[in-house]
Amino acid sequence: MARITAGVGSSHVPLLGVAVDQGKTGDEYFGPIFAGYEWTKAWEAEQEPDVVVLIYNDHASAFDANIIPTFAIGCGELYKPADEGWGPRPVPDVEGHADLGWHIAQSLILDDFDMTIINEMDVDHGLTVPLSMMFGRPAKWPVKVVPLAVNVVTYPVPSGNRCWALGEAIARAVKSFPEDLDVQIWGTGGMSHQLQGPRAGLLNREWDNKFMDLLVGDTQDARSIPHIEYLREAGSEGIEMVMWLIMRGALGTKTRCLHRHYHIPCSNTAIGHIVLEPEA
Amino acid sequence: MKDIHGYLAEFDDIPGTRVFTAARARQGYWLNQFAMSLMKPENRERWKSDEHAYLADWKMSDAQKQAVLARDYNGMLELGGNIYFLSKIFSTDGLSFAEAVSTMTDMSFPEYREMMLAGGRSPQGNRSISGSY
Repeated sequence: MARITAGVGSSHVPLLGVAVDQGKTGDEYFGPIFAGYEWTKAWEAEQEPDVVVLIYNDHASAFDANIIPTFAIGCGELYKPADEGWGPRPVPDVEGHADLGWHIAQSLILDDFDMTIINEMDVDHGLTVPLSMMFGRPAKWPVKVVPLAVNVVTYPVPSGNRCWALGEAIARAVKSFPEDLDVQIWGTGGMSHQLQGPRAGLLNREWDNKFMDLLVGDTQDARSIPHIEYLREAGSEGIEMVMWLIMRGALGTKTRCLHRHYHIPCSNTAIGHIVLEPEA
Repeated sequence: MKDIHGYLAEFDDIPGTRVFTAARARQGYWLNQFAMSLMKPENRERWKSDEHAYLADWKMSDAQKQAVLARDYNGMLELGGNIYFLSKIFSTDGLSFAEAVSTMTDMSFPEYREMMLAGGRSPQGNRSISGSY
């Protein structure tokens, strides 16, 4: 049977991809960020997960303004890096796990989550930057990926509670997949940042860290954080953190923190990541 | 169920911020679709060679077109643009996300960069217009 072995929450700032692609990860600006991910990279190399269910948001790359799925799951065999306006990132294509993707999609629909199913799409920095942060620059990504894209751009975006419940349903779906697979779930985006308007550049170290605290242990308080609180406290794009709650929901009633790291700034954004294990 | 009117009204209480509501998404539909078209290299070439001619093909308001030509990002936001779509315009111009974002503030790019290095803009006093906190 397949099982969810661990969860990772992580920022997916596009500039991190640029740093990796241009070999700048050790310089004065990026050094402290990538140093924070060293532990996680080593841990991933040791864990060797078979599949990652990767929760992210598309940044007007695969989806335009026409069709706006709240939750879209990739059930394809292969996803290519998107051209976001400066050419695609020079990273390997992302191999899907179509069997697991379809199994999760079907299970979620039967579990009352009306998913949008995607067969073909390009994947942007929201998905490829976390892969680079965890695995560096391999010739081929060492995991298969089931992408799950969340609308966090056009309001209303899904509530934190709905995201958490989706995570719980994903865990049930994975558990009923007959193949023997180690599956990780990653929630990406954030942390505090605002990319628009005169308030741009807002960062909130205190709130971000409080949010990370709420992912550890058995508290469910993060489920009820309203959208307006993310917007006020963590900036208009800080709302991406609701995607971390899908990851947290999938880890069950209690978690243990293996590693966490926080750094300000990266471009317009506060960078954070956390590694969690389900605890019985 | 939540009160949708109350839910939406709170968004207008955040200083210096335009939340991308359905109303804004409708207003900015073609502006955002135009920006999205710049993801294709052949479109970028056409756009760079004649911006006015390229815009003529899009069902955008004159105000939206003027804001695009002037690279007035606050203006584009006001007219329904969303930053992830608009990012295709400044990426085509060769601007970094941070530099483009700085143009929406009252700071120069070096000043903005300094602010970010010093910990970013404080949420203190920037959370609510009505509550001033």
